[in-house]
Amino acid sequence: MAASVMLEQLFWPPVLVFAVLGGGVYLWAVLDGLAARLLGPPQAQSVWLSPLSRGAWLLVQQANTTEAPDLWGWRLAPALYLALAAVGLALVPWSRDWVATDLATSLVLWGSVEALATVVIFLHGWSANSHFALMGAYRYVALGLSYLLISMFVLIGAALPAESLALTQIVTSQEDVWNIVRQPLGLPLFLLVGLALTFRGPFNLADTRDMAGGTGVAVSGPPRLVWALARSAMLVAFSGIAATVFLGGWLGPWLPGPLWVVLKMLAVLAVLAGLGRWFAVVSPSRCLSLMWLVLLPLSFVDLVWAGVVALL
Amino acid sequence: MAVSWLSRLAVRGPATVFPALGMHGEDALYRLARDPGIALVDTPRHAAILLVAGGVPPHLQDALRRVHDQLPAPCATLWYQSEPLLELNQPGAVIIDDPAALPGAVKKTWRRLITREQDTAPRLLPDTPPNPWQGLGDDGHGGEGMMGGVPYGRPMAMPPTPDLRDGLALDVLTFRLGPFFPLWPAGLAAEVALQGDIVQQFAVVSPAFPQAVPQIFVEAQSRPVAIAELERKRVQHHLYAFFHALGLAHLPGLARRALALAEQCDSRPVQALDKAFTAFERALVRRGFFALYLPRGATLEGEDARALGGVAARAAGVEDDARHADDGYRRLGFSPVTQQAGDVPARWRQRLAEIQQSLRLIGRAEQGDAVTAATDSIELPQGTGSAHELLENQLPGLEWSEALATVASLDVAEVSPWPHP
Amino acid sequence: MNTSIGVDVAFWLLAVFAVYTGWRVFRTDSMVRASFFLLLSFIAVGAIMLLLSAVYLGVAMFFMMGVEMMVMALFMVMFMMNPAGLNPMMMVHQHKLSIGAGVAGFAILAAMALLAGFPQQALPADLEPVASLGHELMGDSMLIFESAGVVLLATMIGVVVLSSPRGRFGSAQHGSMPPGLEPGGDPAGMPEKSEEAGGHHHHHHGH
Repeated sequence: MAASVMLEQLFWPPVLVFAVLGGGVYLWAVLDGLAARLLGPPQAQSVWLSPLSRGAWLLVQQANTTEAPDLWGWRLAPALYLALAAVGLALVPWSRDWVATDLATSLVLWGSVEALATVVIFLHGWSANSHFALMGAYRYVALGLSYLLISMFVLIGAALPAESLALTQIVTSQEDVWNIVRQPLGLPLFLLVGLALTFRGPFNLADTRDMAGGTGVAVSGPPRLVWALARSAMLVAFSGIAATVFLGGWLGPWLPGPLWVVLKMLAVLAVLAGLGRWFAVVSPSRCLSLMWLVLLPLSFVDLVWAGVVALL
Repeated sequence: MAVSWLSRLAVRGPATVFPALGMHGEDALYRLARDPGIALVDTPRHAAILLVAGGVPPHLQDALRRVHDQLPAPCATLWYQSEPLLELNQPGAVIIDDPAALPGAVKKTWRRLITREQDTAPRLLPDTPPNPWQGLGDDGHGGEGMMGGVPYGRPMAMPPTPDLRDGLALDVLTFRLGPFFPLWPAGLAAEVALQGDIVQQFAVVSPAFPQAVPQIFVEAQSRPVAIAELERKRVQHHLYAFFHALGLAHLPGLARRALALAEQCDSRPVQALDKAFTAFERALVRRGFFALYLPRGATLEGEDARALGGVAARAAGVEDDARHADDGYRRLGFSPVTQQAGDVPARWRQRLAEIQQSLRLIGRAEQGDAVTAATDSIELPQGTGSAHELLENQLPGLEWSEALATVASLDVAEVSPWPHP
Repeated sequence: MNTSIGVDVAFWLLAVFAVYTGWRVFRTDSMVRASFFLLLSFIAVGAIMLLLSAVYLGVAMFFMMGVEMMVMALFMVMFMMNPAGLNPMMMVHQHKLSIGAGVAGFAILAAMALLAGFPQQALPADLEPVASLGHELMGDSMLIFESAGVVLLATMIGVVVLSSPRGRFGSAQHGSMPPGLEPGGDPAGMPEKSEEAGGHHHHHHGH
């Protein structure tokens, strides 16, 4: 009895989370590769093999050091980012009673995952003891403080009809209509937050080309692979949360619940891959103005809309 | 074994190359950028192959040694139209002079490196800290007092100038950005002082390598040449500038399209070029190059703009164009185009306008076989002056990515008196 | 109180971790590292709050401390006269006084923790922490929280406005100064220039 309880609570949730992360990261790399081939320069390799061969090369390459880095922080930061992504994915409910971590406040825990992600990305840049890495890190912090507010307002708006902060309740509150229909501003804003959280595409202010790679400028070899894995894993976790909060999670006809969640996550990842590759990178001052003057008021509007609809 | 299947998987990926450009090394860059099996990276840490393209002058060879030592193992060096460093000039050094053989040689080196047929290159410089600091000083931090003096060889952060902005003065971060930085003109080395993310001081330590003009412009200074050929080279120059800027804007697909168009400038019929260019311009706007990426950057006006000449001057409203004095051009209906604003987006719009103007001129010139009439007023695509002093005056006060966008929008290097080799 | 062995083990591990990282705040040689060690200590405390069934407060602790320590680390990088926090530096001063104050503080707090009489009643089985927190916020404590919330919002907006480069008398890039009382006169309302001019004599003791 105790053994099966322990198996259920301590063994299966981490296995589930890491299995989904592994598969999700590979599928995201394939989707990103497809978007790159459609929108970017032609690539020589097959889209299925390309992530594997790039990862293999990073494993073969030596992990270099700089003159006096904060070695603990530098090597731990990618692993911590991966751990945060795993914590975020553990919150996603796969069906009514199949969820790795069912907290009453899972939405706030996702918010703290986002906040701690900012810390970890800064640590990755600062620990390298290199100028461009530091600049990428603190530039990202300025961006991070902007999108945290937007993300929390949008998520609170989704929590209002559910009258609960637990993700399972939010999904059951979407049984008659999904939140993407009920709160039309929510998902577009949340997708932009996702791009900013993983500093991808137009919001790539941390690992940007004009700083020769930003926080990753001095990283090579296996740590660079872990960092890339962690960024993709955070996107996978983010897509899980987006599918749960706005697209109805496990709800849907014919197919079993978990399969619906996976399909919705893949849809969100495909949209993010396209958005990430289509647009040019936003200049930092324009990005801050955009976040504070356009997106934050829009998230207020979304919250007020959700409140009015909940009162009626 | 684990190593061998990992290596076999790794070999199938793109060859990662860090291009260290010497004098006239850009065509190696363009040739490699077109090859899908080769990935050009921005930092030596992400590369396995160091490509030194073009001659490196002796005063920059120390910097080249430091770049060489930054590549992690397994690494190798290829020398393209360049003399290897003394320490690396062994029998096995790979020296390539033929442009067509370059991509093949890069991929061959990549394969040999990953499958361990070739050893990784040796380190050139000693791996010791330049300023030993551990255990020295009052608190073991190398220096006096609580601040730790000068450890890591970095200067203390006493602000030499008051912050350009109002408010609390942020710390100064000073660093030297070297001659092989891939995101600005080759050979430019500068000492940059940042406070926060704003450039406070920009001191050029070593100017960018002079840019050679195409052979046809040199000939135009001694005899009449076909206007169509001149204008094709001008379009090519502007498209290469777009290639660099679109790389900075994270639009690699559009950058590659600009490069492909530039390579076809010499041979393709002008109607096809025109159609392709119009599609390219539409894509630029739709992908947010102007709306999202381009900052206002440094605004040129008046005397500065006039001294620079070329695109920068005309984008600031100065109507100086040497082609206007040429009868051959006037017969084709040429009149200078200008923008008013003089900032970074204006310069890019000016380039777009001038490319369109040149394409129209090519069409008309090819119909009539028009030639230039004057040999003393030739409008070079780069303009007249070099922009180094301008950078020192204009970049302080700009944020870092605005500063780089400004550098990309100007023709910084001076014009070399010798033609393209 | 009957708690499972797992909860006890978790509590002791977290408590030791919180104390250790708190000690490391003072023994490390970089301000940024000090901020992050403090963050780790607070995260351990937040996890202990989760063990005490304060579900919302514990998770909110992670959230708040993450952003706060991040901003603190960023300020260290911006202002510390220590280029980007990359130089090692001695973090503590006035050793005797601070050790004495620390020991005294520890003694007082430990006495409070060990000798005070904490309530013995168990939590009701159907406790919904978030719902009860919500009822309290919207019920008896509404005045406090609403006024605090509005003050915080006004502060945030005020900070963003103050940091805008568009000052009242011109752009901050050019040092916005008010116009003079007479045309071409000195800027109005400015204090007299003191004799020790040029004076950013920051003799910081690293803090």
